[in-house]
Amino acid sequence: MARRQRVEAEPAYVLHARPWRETSLLLEVLTLEHGRLALVAKGARRPGSQLRSVLLTFQPLVLGWSGAGEVRTLTRADWAGGVPLPQGRALWCGYYLNELVLRLLAREDPHREVFLAYDAAVRALAAGEPLAPVLRRFELAFLAALGYGLDWPHTVAGRYRFEPHRGLVPLMEGESAPGEVVLSAQTLEDLRAGCWSRPATLAEVRALTRRLIDHALDGQELQARRMLRELLE
Amino acid sequence: MPTPLDELIEALRCLPGVGARSAQRMAHHLLQRDRRGAQRLARAIEAALTTLTHCARCNAFSETTVCARCSDPARDATLVCVVESPADMEAIEQTHSYRGLYYVLMGRLSPLDGIGPKELELERLLERLAAPEVREVVLATNFTNEGEATAHWIAERVRARGLAVTRLARGVPLGGELEYVDPATVAHALIDRRRLDAT
Ligand SMILES: [Zn+2]
Repeated sequence: MARRQRVEAEPAYVLHARPWRETSLLLEVLTLEHGRLALVAKGARRPGSQLRSVLLTFQPLVLGWSGAGEVRTLTRADWAGGVPLPQGRALWCGYYLNELVLRLLAREDPHREVFLAYDAAVRALAAGEPLAPVLRRFELAFLAALGYGLDWPHTVAGRYRFEPHRGLVPLMEGESAPGEVVLSAQTLEDLRAGCWSRPATLAEVRALTRRLIDHALDGQELQARRMLRELLE
Repeated sequence: MPTPLDELIEALRCLPGVGARSAQRMAHHLLQRDRRGAQRLARAIEAALTTLTHCARCNAFSETTVCARCSDPARDATLVCVVESPADMEAIEQTHSYRGLYYVLMGRLSPLDGIGPKELELERLLERLAAPEVREVVLATNFTNEGEATAHWIAERVRARGLAVTRLARGVPLGGELEYVDPATVAHALIDRRRLDAT
């Protein structure tokens, strides 16, 4: 963990930035090969700092850093460009993604597939794609990377009840499961095919990821989700 | 038991961006080089704390329930400009090109820091905007993602009430040569490009 590291140029996103000491920023970043890291951007809060317009959230960046220990020092920050800032509700969804990653992905636990899923989600939000499928795709990829993936039944038929500890449990015909997450065979087929056109699929998968995330968060509340809900009220 | 010097240094650290070393430097300066300045500072803080409140209309600091700017009949009460801080309000005032009123949020939404609509008391802003003379809300929060998220939140709520909502344009600084402007600014100026119509 504490070994010295020098990285010259690594694709990354800033997940969160907060003031640090007198003129610096403490960044939480998500990188392609090195997972989530904490970096100090020295002098980034000085008036006229060139770093400030580069170290934006939801913008693909190329970062370099060096140092040992839990917090490294940013040595390079280039704006990779090509992605407009997500607007409106998409921006709020972006905060939700950031909060999920910050809460559930430990620092220095590299997951290339998390970065790739995050990058795809941010680009889709910025492009104004329908929000729900973007969020569900990211949640499923992220949860799978963290080890909360689903074990798929070999043949899909009927309906399934989902339990965090047991996975998908077939439901008897006519059996009801009030208050539980129930997935139909059609939804599982849609998931496998990456097809999001059916409202029922979206609704069932939303309930599924929600249950998995609540389980992973162990009772903590997501601020961004709460605020998004208040906005829609 | 901390000495008065330790106490002063610790107290100065409540200022934004002031760490232990700067606080120590300030304390030594005040005590050693500028005792009159220190006395003046102490009195000014005391006086400001006892006399200033938030203006009931714009939420900026004021000695009276409604501040002088909000009670100025020469200002256009149909326009309300929403800014994050009193400093932002002064920046707009310095342009001498805005004659409407203001609302100062005293912050911005920051979901990952737990600062939501409740914490920012956005209901107070909505109540202010419910005044019958208000026609347009100019959103002048900063061009950070948090400023954008704040602007979007307010816009959604305000539009539902039938008010016009505008956002400060973002772009290349006046006199700015593209070559020297940072690429993110140029990229967004490109997104926000406008048609040049023949006049
Ligand atoms: Zn006022």
